Amino acid sequence: MFSPKTKVLVVDDMSTMRKIVAKILKDLGFTDITEAADGQIAWDHLTKSPTPYGLVISDWNMPNCSGMELLKKVRTDEKLKKTPFILVTAEAEHSQVAAAIQAGVDQYVVKPFSKDALLAKLQSVSKKYAA
Amino acid sequence: MKLDTEFINPFLAATLQVLKIQASVSAEATKIYLKKPGEKLLGDISGVIGIVSTSFNGSVIISFPRQTFLNVMSGMLGETYTDLTQDILDGAGEITNMIFGQAKVSLNEKGYGVQMALPSVIFGKDHSLLSATQGPIIVVPFSSTAGNFFVEISLSK
Repeated sequence: MFSPKTKVLVVDDMSTMRKIVAKILKDLGFTDITEAADGQIAWDHLTKSPTPYGLVISDWNMPNCSGMELLKKVRTDEKLKKTPFILVTAEAEHSQVAAAIQAGVDQYVVKPFSKDALLAKLQSVSKKYAA
Repeated sequence: MKLDTEFINPFLAATLQVLKIQASVSAEATKIYLKKPGEKLLGDISGVIGIVSTSFNGSVIISFPRQTFLNVMSGMLGETYTDLTQDILDGAGEITNMIFGQAKVSLNEKGYGVQMALPSVIFGKDHSLLSATQGPIIVVPFSSTAGNFFVEISLSK
């Protein structure tokens, strides 16, 4: 599992959903959580942070820069391309899941979701990067 | 395009599922009726999302009385809310977004071709919303462990 000290970026245009994800992360012991309201703000955090983020959990549908656009930017950036990336979204159709996998997402959580569902995805991604 | 059970049921099922999983709220639909012209929304906080498809347009609205909304938000966020603060108002939009996302999967499996859209939130006592569609508006009242609330579905063409 990810270390509780992992620097996590939670991206969603809805403050309520950012609160839900951040609360679950805090309940799981994470202490270094930053919130961003869209992909562009998230990109600024990722590229300007003096210490690298160890995990991005992002919504898909957002104004300015979507989660998918953010994912593509991260995966094509030399410094950021190995950042673990989870999409949390209401986009539940197979074609969209396939598109996200094609773009390099590590895991995909469909809203609505429980704490256990997010934990299972975190464990899966952590295991992948530990291998 | 008809506002029939094949179209409405995915929204009802999604409403129950979203509230149960995300807010630990159990709900059930009561008697569906047709909204009268000029009738206002029945709640104080409403999440609104436009339905855009290759063959029709419409909208879905979930409208909460103030106390129901506070109860739902308390369930979603794991702490008690007693005031409608700015940072929880968008919760109505998020709930609408999740309901729409779930229903969209079922509808598109049946070939409706519904596209994703971003939700909006409107609030205020006795607020109203001019429908962009000219078709009938179905109101589905729900009773729940958080209180009563309403889902409105409209379609045109």
